[in-house]
Amino acid sequence: MDPALRTALRDGEQLGVRYALQIPQVAAGGWTGSRSGRRSGSSIDFQDYREYQPGDDLRFIDWGIYSRSDRLVVKLFREEVTPHLDLILDGSASMNLPGTAKAGAVAQLAALLATAAANAQCTQAVWLTGEGCQRLPNDTLPPSAWDKLELDSRRTPEQAYDILPPRLRRLGVRVLVSDLLWPGNPAATLRRLRDGAAALFVIQLLAREDVTPPEHGNIRVADSETGEESEIYIDSAVAKQYADNLAQLQQAWDDGCRQCGARLTTLIAEDLAASLPALQAVQLLTPA
Amino acid sequence: MIPFLTYPLALIALASLPALAAIYILRNRFRRRMVSSLVLWHFQVQSKAGGAKVHRLQLPLLFFLELLALALLVMAAAGPHWKLPQSARPLMIILDDSFSMRAVSDGVSAQGRAQAFLEKMYRQSPPPVTRLILAGTETHALGSPVKSWAQVAELLRQWRCPAPGAELDAAITLAAELGKQQANILVLTDHRPADDRITNPRLEWRAFGTRLDNFAIVNASRTALGDQDRCLIEVANFSDHARSVEVKVRAGTNALPGSSLTLAAQESQRLVFNLPANGQPLRVALPGDALTVDDQVELLPPVRRRVRVQVALADADLAALADRTLAATGLRAALSDNPELVIHETDTAAGSNAWSLRWVSAGATNAFTGPFVVDTSHPLAAGVALPGVIWAGASLTNAPGDVPAILAGNTPLFSAREDALGRRHLTLNFNPALSTLQNTPDWPILFWNLLSWRSAELPGLRESNVRLGAEVVVKTTGEPVTVTEPDGTVRSFPKAADELALETPQTGVYQVTMGALTNHFSVNALTAEKSDLTGCASGHWGAWGEAADQRLVETPATWVFGLLGLGLLVVHLFLLYAGKGGGR
Repeated sequence: MDPALRTALRDGEQLGVRYALQIPQVAAGGWTGSRSGRRSGSSIDFQDYREYQPGDDLRFIDWGIYSRSDRLVVKLFREEVTPHLDLILDGSASMNLPGTAKAGAVAQLAALLATAAANAQCTQAVWLTGEGCQRLPNDTLPPSAWDKLELDSRRTPEQAYDILPPRLRRLGVRVLVSDLLWPGNPAATLRRLRDGAAALFVIQLLAREDVTPPEHGNIRVADSETGEESEIYIDSAVAKQYADNLAQLQQAWDDGCRQCGARLTTLIAEDLAASLPALQAVQLLTPA
Repeated sequence: MIPFLTYPLALIALASLPALAAIYILRNRFRRRMVSSLVLWHFQVQSKAGGAKVHRLQLPLLFFLELLALALLVMAAAGPHWKLPQSARPLMIILDDSFSMRAVSDGVSAQGRAQAFLEKMYRQSPPPVTRLILAGTETHALGSPVKSWAQVAELLRQWRCPAPGAELDAAITLAAELGKQQANILVLTDHRPADDRITNPRLEWRAFGTRLDNFAIVNASRTALGDQDRCLIEVANFSDHARSVEVKVRAGTNALPGSSLTLAAQESQRLVFNLPANGQPLRVALPGDALTVDDQVELLPPVRRRVRVQVALADADLAALADRTLAATGLRAALSDNPELVIHETDTAAGSNAWSLRWVSAGATNAFTGPFVVDTSHPLAAGVALPGVIWAGASLTNAPGDVPAILAGNTPLFSAREDALGRRHLTLNFNPALSTLQNTPDWPILFWNLLSWRSAELPGLRESNVRLGAEVVVKTTGEPVTVTEPDGTVRSFPKAADELALETPQTGVYQVTMGALTNHFSVNALTAEKSDLTGCASGHWGAWGEAADQRLVETPATWVFGLLGLGLLVVHLFLLYAGKGGGR
């Protein structure tokens, strides 16, 4: 793995110490853990009574009530669960655009979110899209121990999902980190990610170059993923058209997010540290 | 159609075109840039498939605009001229300047009728530009091109028809040259063309002459004959029938007996008579007729030049022989003071003006019988034959600078040399004691040649009566020359060369003044061809064809190139302004 990325993971880890993942109530499900679930469970916290039904654990029959009223009543206790974060990283080559801070920002942001999740006592899984969606080795360990974080795929996250979808945990919090710069229908991608999730956050991470078109002149633009090239004369009309296209793309993703209840925010890789309040604004992070 | 360039060196600026191309190529080459995805450039990809040329042409359009504007401005700087067709052609009018145009019929001369025709033509269809060419014995253009009848009429005042001939062919050639082969040519004369079929589509020949009877003096001369003047007058009858004419002769104020001549058709007769050489002018006149200029002549006394000769020979026999011979020529002046020719035996200078003849007789013991080499083109040896002559001379060698006129083998017998002051030094290698030359006709011929040559080199006129148009040569003294023409025009030549050739454009008496020396000469119209009016005619031959309505005229095209170039620059600026966002 690129040493620069590992350094970025460490930086993100340090940055994430100050934050905790904000778990929505609907995400109070999962494996038995340390957080109260929204269902009855086996914790010591009493929740309610109900009539005994065959199959109930006889250990939870309240014998005192039975002695006083000759009725079989069982005590219900609050379930204790461990929330889960599924972090899906866009592993396409566009996230490692040469000359930009995009790759470092991906690593830093992933480490920050993972650290914030740990601070919120969440479990985590980090998925990297490529030839399918693969979990990062050691992704359950602190980010500095992650391995094979390589952003060089020629496939978009949507294509990777089609090849091998990630095994996302139900009622988990899911975060997609991508530049979202691929053609297609955002709604379809968002629906698949949102299905079964407690919450879905989409973080669009762009380089400053992605936001600002080049200066006037003749440019031969090359797609970092496909290698396709196109010769363009940049003038004010073309620059305006580019900005319109970007706004149109963001609007499409925003609409898709609204439709499926996901939240979208856009960060600039070169200004990542200054952009973190945006993550609080969408209620993904909260100060630890 | 290749334009003519006034400043072709300006085309060097075309080197800026490849420079501009190089700038564009270097500046506008495509820089490669990696982007996250082409999805945001999707519009460009689409236009590449459908209408990519529109966008891609934006660069070439600006470039080609600049290129074209630069080329146009360079062309404008080169000052191009195009030959463009114009609907009307300029007119070159050739005016017959010979005196036959002055022949009057019904009170109007051919010249007057031609002028009236011109005025009428101008009133009906004036040409855009007119140029007048005078065709006399020499042709020349009158003034500069003019546009209005008033200007033409002003120039026509110089058309006075004094010339003894009209070089119309030369004038037509000059008109074609001046009109760049594009102008219409109109010839105004009094006779028909040599060939009635005129093939030149831009030449029109109009004659305004009338066939008239005319008496004319066609020859007149007055030459020296001893103490008298011999006069010759030739009168011609240019008509188809016999007629009589009275010839009036006056010498000074004295009327001489006239003669009545009866001449057959086209016949001429001569009157020859002698006059005492009294210096009076002789005037001969015929009765007035259609053409008056040839009805009278004035003959001045002939130029009688004699040379003052000083015979300074020590040998009495030689001196006597020289004196006799000089007297026989009739060209020796009575006086010998301030001599113009000194004959002597030594090689000494003889004054600032005199020529010297050195007669070498001592030691001349070689008797040559020939063959003699005679340079008959030399003034000294003209007419000398030396048949059977014994010429005794010394065995001399040709001195440096001497030009021998007569030689016997390599021995110069008669030679001449000119010194720095223009004086001639002649050497006669001759011993009469052993020769027979002095007994032959060649001897006086030699001396006549000598005095004739000397007299020809004297300042002043050589002849006093010349024909109209002839050239009069004046031997000058180096002083300023003033010529007064018969009409009173005075022409001055402050720095005259050794000889001065004077034109004689009009008849009458001219006066030539050089310091204290004053000479006169008379000019008479003595041209039988122009006096013969039986060949005069009226009519017109040839016509300007329809194709003559279209002609090519050199038109400056600088403004066209300049305007196009500036227009392209404005478009270029507009596109540049719009391309940068229209001033956002």
